Amino acid sequence: MARIIVVTSGKGGVGKTTSSAAIGIGLALKGHKVVLIDFDIGLRNLDLIMGCERRVVYDFVNVINGEATLNQALIKDKRVSSLSILPASQTRDKDALNKENVGKVLEDLGKRFDYIICDSPAGIEAGAMMALYYADEAIVTTNPEVSSVRDSDRILGMLASRSRRAELGLEPIKEHLLLTRYSPKRVEEGEMLSVEDVEDILAIPLLGVIPESQAVLKASNAGEPVILDTESDAGKAYQDVIDRLLGETVEFRFLVAEKKGILSRLFGG
Amino acid sequence: MAEASIEFKGSSFTLSVLHLKTSRLSGFRDDLKTKVAQAPDFFYLVPIVVDIERVDSSIDYQAVKLLVEEFKFTFVGFTGNVSKEQRKFIRELGFSFINSANSSVNSSISSTEKAEATTKAVKANEAIVVKVEQTKIFPQVSLFTDKIHRGQIRSGQQIYAKDQNLVIIGSVSAGAEVIADGNIHVYGSLRGRAIAGAKGHHQAQIYCQNLEAELVSINGNYWLSESMEQHWNSPAYIHLSDTELVSSKLI
Repeated sequence: MARIIVVTSGKGGVGKTTSSAAIGIGLALKGHKVVLIDFDIGLRNLDLIMGCERRVVYDFVNVINGEATLNQALIKDKRVSSLSILPASQTRDKDALNKENVGKVLEDLGKRFDYIICDSPAGIEAGAMMALYYADEAIVTTNPEVSSVRDSDRILGMLASRSRRAELGLEPIKEHLLLTRYSPKRVEEGEMLSVEDVEDILAIPLLGVIPESQAVLKASNAGEPVILDTESDAGKAYQDVIDRLLGETVEFRFLVAEKKGILSRLFGG
Repeated sequence: MAEASIEFKGSSFTLSVLHLKTSRLSGFRDDLKTKVAQAPDFFYLVPIVVDIERVDSSIDYQAVKLLVEEFKFTFVGFTGNVSKEQRKFIRELGFSFINSANSSVNSSISSTEKAEATTKAVKANEAIVVKVEQTKIFPQVSLFTDKIHRGQIRSGQQIYAKDQNLVIIGSVSAGAEVIADGNIHVYGSLRGRAIAGAKGHHQAQIYCQNLEAELVSINGNYWLSESMEQHWNSPAYIHLSDTELVSSKLI
């Protein structure tokens, strides 16, 4: 049975899609069969980040409505063959999805893939609820600032009360905290919440800390998920996330500000 | 001048009045026994005034007093619309006679009027200071059971412990709300809102291992976080003294 993982946050712009893309590719590179679903109907982004926007013919809503088969809608990634993308519709809105049909699509996907990664839209409305409803695990993406933490807390409440697992009284959704856009320097200066602060408030296990990095923006614009940039801090941090998701114990990196040596200070780092 | 160590003041209390309908003490005793057996806790040490308006003036007053005391009432005195001579006689026997304003505590008059009558009566009697707790008609409120919640209470969630205490093993997030008719215990940080004694329970308290609440309220008296500075970010409990909230160090 496939593991259904929702990448969610409540707040927008914290890095859900970037993280979904990175985690999707990362798991596929480890040899797993992975499908990435864009649940952000009407604000299609995942295809851009994945660099497959020109290959979208049919989308999730077409499949839901029976206008296309899964085979027609799934886009196979050109870099990693075990990864597929199910894009969102850009011309419809979130009401186009309903629980029953989404459940059917996920069931079909579950027969073919090991991991189903659901990229949730922001907010706590129908679209976000749909993305998390069938999840077995949740990666709660949070920026180290109070409003993002508050919204993540709200989403954690929804995971515990509004999901299928909650409604059926099954084992609760396994929750992971993914802290993104982390800047150890700004934490030291007291401008940003620390990892400990966020862990204390949300009280869920930490899956990863992605440092604030220029590489992320560059990767997004190029349609090359940042995890493929193995030189960048963010790429390495996402790699650690994959290892932890697969059950390995990996030490956390990039939590303290680098002390710059005299040479790099002189010549710029 | 040094302040006097005592002070007399008129005050009004609700007292139970036992109306005697028969002069036969044996019948009275049986009925009283039956009545008390129905709710022994309720009548225990309840101050009582005996109305003798409808009985013979030759009744054995001392015996009446002993009888009510036998059933664990606290005997206060006699009352009723009786002749001056009879009142005088009762006082000479060493009992209080409480005059009611309109000569008889008629059951048809309203409770406020009754209270007024009692006040007047007490005043007329040159301030008998009867120190009694307001009698509670309900059984002890401390019989609240506990509602126990394991885990965080997240932003946007609300938990209500109806007629119960609320115990939370975990933290209450900012934007969450926990409400109980009894006490609230948070084994974690209290960052949201906590409302104890929601149905009006003055003795309700709020305990937490770390006080960072947005709002705490007991029996309708509330504090916003700015009022909690003294024990902010430390283990504390909040309770009511008269009508003011007070916070105290927990450990």
